[in-house]
Order: sequence, then C-alpha cells, then structure tokens
Amino acid sequence: MAKHKGRGIATIEYPTGMNQNGDPSQAWVKLKPDGRVDVFSGTVDIGQGSRTVHTQIVADTLGVPFDWVTNDNTNTDSSAVCTGSFASRGTFIGGNAVRFAAEQARERILDIASKELEIAPGDLDIVDGEVVAKGAPDRKIGIPEVAAAATWNYGELITGTGAALKPYADVNNDDGSVELEPHSAISYAACVAEVEVDDETGEVKVERLIQVYDVGRAINPTLVEGQIEGGAMMGLGLGLLEEAYPYYPETDHRGGEFGAYLAPALEDLPDVDNLIIENPSEDGPFGAKAIGEMANNAQPPAIVSAIYDAVGVWVTQLPATPERVLRALDGEKEPRRDGKRVIFDDPVSIRTVSSDGGKGFFETDG
Amino acid sequence: MRLTVNGEQHDLHSPPLTSLLTALREELDITSPKAGCHQGGCGACTVLVDGEARRSCLLPLAAVDGAAITTLEGLGAADDLSNVQAAFDEHYAAQCGFCTSGFIMAATALIDRTPKASREEILAGLSGHVCRCTGYIKIVSAVEAAVGSPA
Amino acid sequence: MKAVGARLPRYDGVAHVTGQTQYVDDIRVRGTLWTKALRSPHANAAIKRLDTSKAEALSGVYAIVTHKDVPHNVYGHLEALGIPADEPLLAVDEVRYKGQPIAAVAAVDEDTAREAVDLIEIEYEERAAFFDIRKAMDPDWPNIHQWGPVYPHFGSYNHRRVRKGDIDAAFERADTIVEGVYRPQAIEHCPIEPQTALVVPEANGRLTIYSCTQAMYFSMGVVAAHLQWPLNKLKFVGGTVGGGFGGKVDTASETISALLALKAKRPVKWRWTREEEFLVSSTRAPWHMELADAVTSDGWILGRRMTTLHDAGAYARFSPYGVTKHAFHHTGAYTIPNVHFDGFVVFSNRVPTTAMRGFGVTSVSFAVETHMNRIAEVLGIDPLQLRLKNANRIGDTTPNRVVLKDPSTVPVVLAAADRVGYDLPAEYKSMTNARRSGDLLPEHLVAQLGEPEHSSNGGGR
Repeated sequence: MAKHKGRGIATIEYPTGMNQNGDPSQAWVKLKPDGRVDVFSGTVDIGQGSRTVHTQIVADTLGVPFDWVTNDNTNTDSSAVCTGSFASRGTFIGGNAVRFAAEQARERILDIASKELEIAPGDLDIVDGEVVAKGAPDRKIGIPEVAAAATWNYGELITGTGAALKPYADVNNDDGSVELEPHSAISYAACVAEVEVDDETGEVKVERLIQVYDVGRAINPTLVEGQIEGGAMMGLGLGLLEEAYPYYPETDHRGGEFGAYLAPALEDLPDVDNLIIENPSEDGPFGAKAIGEMANNAQPPAIVSAIYDAVGVWVTQLPATPERVLRALDGEKEPRRDGKRVIFDDPVSIRTVSSDGGKGFFETDG
Repeated sequence: MRLTVNGEQHDLHSPPLTSLLTALREELDITSPKAGCHQGGCGACTVLVDGEARRSCLLPLAAVDGAAITTLEGLGAADDLSNVQAAFDEHYAAQCGFCTSGFIMAATALIDRTPKASREEILAGLSGHVCRCTGYIKIVSAVEAAVGSPA
Repeated sequence: MKAVGARLPRYDGVAHVTGQTQYVDDIRVRGTLWTKALRSPHANAAIKRLDTSKAEALSGVYAIVTHKDVPHNVYGHLEALGIPADEPLLAVDEVRYKGQPIAAVAAVDEDTAREAVDLIEIEYEERAAFFDIRKAMDPDWPNIHQWGPVYPHFGSYNHRRVRKGDIDAAFERADTIVEGVYRPQAIEHCPIEPQTALVVPEANGRLTIYSCTQAMYFSMGVVAAHLQWPLNKLKFVGGTVGGGFGGKVDTASETISALLALKAKRPVKWRWTREEEFLVSSTRAPWHMELADAVTSDGWILGRRMTTLHDAGAYARFSPYGVTKHAFHHTGAYTIPNVHFDGFVVFSNRVPTTAMRGFGVTSVSFAVETHMNRIAEVLGIDPLQLRLKNANRIGDTTPNRVVLKDPSTVPVVLAAADRVGYDLPAEYKSMTNARRSGDLLPEHLVAQLGEPEHSSNGGGR
C-alpha cells in the first residue's frame, strides 16, 4: 500500500476551421472622420478573447495604434456573416476576415493620402497612424487628416470589406479522399503529465502538467495562455473527474447539480508549465494557427499513461476514477496474446459484447 | 424587508422567501450577481452580507432583513477599481466573465479577513467557486497579486 | 509599437470586473414573460394524447406552443452540409430521450409557467430504451430511429470510411499487431451561464433575439428556417457569452422562445435551470474506439485498422460532422501510410450529443496517444522516440491525402523533452520537421510523400 509517481506523454494535432470548410467569416471596417477605426465582425466572444485579437490584427494591418480601434460584434444587423465561434476558427478565419477588410481600407487610405501628398500609393507606407513616403519620412500625413480629407473634401467613406472562405470539400469518396483541403491549418501540442497514484484508494492526483503548443503565432500571448490553462483543467476533468453518465452506458445516477458533478475545482489545480512555440502558418493572419479547442485534448492520454507508469495498469475508460483504477489493479494486467497479436481490453470490445461479434460494424467491405 | 445595498437603503417588496439573488436582480436591477445554478453550487451569485461572502441564491430575504449587502457594483467603478478588481483585470482572470463577480466578492472578503493570505488560504477561501474557462490559474495569480498590493 | 504579439488588455476586461458586461439574463425589457417546458419523463415512449386546454386557462398564462405551432418543425442544423433533418423542434407523436421538449409555456412568472406545465395533460405509452451502442448492429436491436441503428447518409455508406494504401500487406508484414479499446465519456459543457434567450417582438414586425449563441448567423439561420422567415425579419443580439465550449451552438432556446413571443405578442425570456443544463442539454458524446496497429520491432507503424462508434443519442445533430472530423485525424500527429477506418454514428435513447471543445478529435487523441504509449511498452521502445520516428513531416500525407506543409510533431516533442529534462539520443535531438530522407524515409513511407501546395491567404479577399 503506497503512493506511486508516474509520468506520461501525449502529442496531438488539431485543425483550424470547420472540417470540409464551407464556413465563411466576413467583416467590414470603416474610418471615422478623425481616423479612428470601427470594426464590425460577427465573431462571438465566448471568453476566448476574439474581440481583443481581432482588434490587434486590424491595428497592425492598418498601422494604427491599438486604442484607435473599436470592435462591434454585438448584432446581426451591423455585422456580416460569421459562421460562429467553434471549430477553433476565430483567430484564423475570423481573423483573416478582419485582416482582409483592414487591407482594403488601408488601400483606400493610401489612395487618398497619395492625392494629398502627390506621391504614388505604392511609394507610401503607414507607420503608427501616419502615412509616410518610403525613403522620405518627413513627407507624411496623419491618418486623421486623411480621413478628414476623405470626409470633407473628397466625399468618400473609407471602408473595407473582407471575406474568408475555403469552399466546401466533398468527402463522400469511397476511400475518404478529398478534392480540397479539409482544413486551413493544423496546430500541434505535446503534454507531459506527472501524477501520484494511491494504490490503496485508487485516487490519482495530477501534480504537474508540462505543455508545449505550436500556435503558429500568438497574436496575444496572454490570451493564448488563457486557452492553454483553461484547457488543461478541462482535460484534467476529462481524464479523472467528469462524467455525465457515471454508469455508462446506463443512464441512472446522473448528476443534476454541481454537487453531484465533478467539474474541476480549485482543489484539483496542478502545477502547469506552458511553452508556446511559433511555427507560422503561411495562410493565417500574421502566421497564426488555432488554439481554442485542442487545449483539452492532450491531458487525458498523458494522465492515463502516467497512471500506467505509476502502477502498471491501463485505464482506458474515462474518467480514471478511483473505482476504475482499483478495478484495473485487481484485474488482468497482461494483454492476451494470439500469434503476433497483442490484444488489450478484450472484455469490453464489440466482438465480446455483441451477440454476433459486431458483424455489422466490422464487415464493411462486402 | 429593508436592506442596505452598496450603501443605499431599499425597502423591498418581494415576498420574504424570495432569494436575495432574485430580489437583487429582479427588484433592484443589480445584475452583477449571476444566476449560475440557484443551487449554491457555482458561487457566481456571491455577495457580501455584512462583510461576509455568501451565496445570495441560498439566502431568503427574511434571513437578511436589515443587513448591509455589497455587490460588485459597490466595490469600484471603471475609473476607481478596487485592488481585487484591478488585479483581476491586469491578470486576465476573467475570460467569459460570468463567474468573475462571485470570485471577486469572495476574494475581497478573504483579503479583508486575511490580509496576508497564503496561496493555501487563497485556494481554501475561493473553494466552491467554479470557473470553466480559466483553469483558475490566472484567478489565483490575481488574488495573490491583490494580497501583495497595498490597500 | 506593434499590437500583434503584445499582451494587450482584454477588450472587455474592465467591464467584466465591474459587473458592467451584459449577458442575456441581464437585459431588462418591460413586460417580459417567463418560460418553462414540458419535457419527456421517459427515454422512449409514444405520445398518445396531449391536451393543453387546462394549462391555457390558468391565469397568468399568455401562450403555449406545441409542434402544431411550428411552421417547419423538423429542420436539420447542418442541412447545408448534406446532413438531412431528423429531429423535431417539439416532439410530435413520440419521444426518444428523457427531457425531450414537447410543449412550452410563457407566463407572467416562472412559478405560473411551472404550474401551467403541470396542468398540461399528456399520456405516454412507454417503450423499452436502449443505451449500449456496441449492440446496435445485433439482430435484436430495435429501431430507435427512423433511419435504423446508425446514421446512413455518409454518401452511399452507413459509416464514414477512409481507405489508404494496402492495409492487408501492412498487417502481413508487421512483426506485432497491437490492439486496444478506448472509451472516453460524455461530459457536460457546464458553462457558468445557463442557456438563456430573450425574444422581443418589435412594432415593425421583426423579432429581436437576445441570444447566448456561440454563432449568431448560424442560429439566426436555424430560427429563420423553423419560422420560414427571411433573415431581415430577425435581429440577433449577442456576441457576449458566459462560456460555451460547443454547447451553445445548438440553438436550444431561441426558436421556442420566438414562437412563444409571437403567440403571446409579448417579450419572452427562457433561462434554463442548472438541472436542465446537466440533465437535458446536449453533452459531449461518449465514444467507443477499437484500434489495431501493424508495427515493426524497430518502431515503425505500418498500418492502422480502426472502428469507431460515436454515441449520438436520439438524433443526429452534428454527430455525422464530428465523425468525419474524427476520421480525418485518426492517425494523430503521425504518418501512417496504410489505413482502414470505419466510423459509425450510432443512435441510442440518450440525450442527443453535440459538439464540444475538440469535437471528434478529443476522442481520437485519447485513443491514439494511449495506444502509442502501449505500443512503446509492448515493443520496449522509448515513447518519445516512437513519436519522433513516426512524426508528421513536411511532405507527408494525412489519411485523407492532404500534404502537410507546416507540421510540428517534432518541435513540440523535443521542446517537451527539453522542458522535463528527458534525455534523448543525439540523432533524435537533432530532428526537425523537414521532409523525410535517409533513415527516416523507409520504404513504406516513400509512396505517400507529396508536394505541399502553397497558398497565401487561407481563402478569401
């Protein structure tokens, strides 16, 4: 009877955008007469911080200070289509939409500045809210003056629209191949879990999670950390705690309140050590890939493998509750061997549980 | 029923068994305490009752008659944030923000009671509050920072 | 002064810490009615009789809606992606899961609405309910769903399939075949903000819908389809949500609230109880995955056979989409040239499952990564070296034949090893994600190599 330490690793990948695409995000920007910028995107901020991220992308695309930019994502009358805040698409696809809109507005700014400065638009750049002649930094005009000129002299509204869409990719080919890429970018991560397992009570404590995420480019590193940290706890919940059907597949004893459902709590908080690396995507805004969803995918297998490392049993039905750990410790630890086959988990397989060996699931090639 | 809420006195007309949460939200339009569960399980409705952090969804009005209630609205406005509010903002301790009011009220009561709260005391003091977004890490950092900052 | 890459403050940070952020439940409209739903107490039953007259007569009740009030009752949220409709907004003559909505009441307050729900007269004929999806293809499995035991519309198949390479040859050649079964659970999304909608009929005939949806245009399309209305008669107000995690893509409360508001001609609010959130809102799906990997003694994965069952619950919702996504990622962060994958969406009498953070992939990551560590154990190979060897590299192709251009399996594994002081041999430490060659390009990986296509804008203008 003792407590045992163990360590496990998992490495994962996760796509950006809806599988098979066909999920547009659109946005538009306009300039006020003093050069301040309003962004309209329909991306819902579910806490991930998309309003902040989109504002950052627009500020740098236009070359204006961050606090010049407002972001209205509040309703469908003022905003164009955004398919939604899911599928880890907010930074990449929603971000591309606001980037494209800002790029178009930037062209309009340069056109008007070109008339005011009498310099070709291609010879102009925007730096810190000013349109500056390349190679002649004293020849410049502020964006506030450009916007005022557009409004009062040229009778123009400086706007830009952006639409990000990869067309829908059909996948109903016999072999599962696709005509078009089914996603926009892929992020990667590795997670090492360090656990302590009590072989008397079956309790598992996650002591430390070491996580490495490639997000392409962290537009706002603190918000990326927020996703990684929140995901770590959700992954810990998946690995050890949460279960909507505690006696799955049966449906009794469901928890209808927080007191009967083990959402990860402060008491479960491990030491979390994060590292963000940047292997940019050539298609994403400023090289960004995605981060939101994948953040809870690596912990469950890392934790289960750490439990194996600690006490020598595999718990492959989640969550790894004390009861399941104890049952595994009491059960058969070695896989069945049949020729060169090494067979784990035989008792719970379809071939064991189904009355006809699960023919309908396995005999799919006629 | 009479309550002092954020320094202002109110005579309430809700029935005496109405929860403090419902009375604050529906009768007084004070909406920072959130109705996360009405079961006392998430902590999002936490307010200060005579300085003590309580789940307002579990308190009938009759039980708090005459009490002084503080909600997030009573701590500090945008240009005059309390230490705890400022720390939550600076540390990105709020993501979706729905649990934030409850956490800030609990942290405020904790620091009031234990000005030099240790990490363990912080974890214990906030225990029972559920946050689904942050993984608690930035919340704990914020409270640690608030503990360390001058009042 | 660059904004990108900077730790700039949250746009909504100060509003959050001062309580000024307005969620749907914080919006106040004079005269708002409250909503409660009549939900099935049975997991599987025929509805023999439904009579709302006594409830309608209750003082304080302004509107009751049943399926008869829904212009287009059966609408599939992903019909645009070729996933047909199967689920009624309000049950018609049967219920297939405990909690399925049958009718809804708008009344002056929550207590009155609850009382009215109790006054609705309904008779059920209960049927046996089924939950163990492993038995769904058994001869005696009943028809829970009009489409049969599994979703049948993956092109001409009743499963999502991926075939690549020569799977039989890979298993023939293998030194060892490692088999395992992986069963991640259903969990609740559990956002702290419960599902809430507020629908206000405007004087000009429009509806303003204050919504906690994660996807305003998507949900607006769903409401418009059920109502058979053009989009200009709807205005969704949202964008600020108290946590979603995938559960607020379902458009679970908006349409019924809209129908009630139209019928009552009054603003209507529906805030789900926490109990409803836990027991009748959709969950992450439970999955059942069986893997068999053909491996060599020195740690190459030659081929993978995989059969996945996804417990969809009573209706399809987004499950076919999730299984397709799952299929595309069933080799994880590794390059396996020969694959044979079948994924089934299986119906049960459970609450319909839905998207949740990592949809389709959280499950497969658990299976693949646990399986990788088992392979390492069986072969007596270091689990990091096993990963680095089989890692995605530039030019490798995925199961669905996409050529990778910026994979990072190698950098993230090496960084993690470094972070925990894990010692690796020099030839592993020096690895990169560059195109395979030499010892890292064994014969079985030659044919799958491709040329990445380069684009510049992720699709858009």
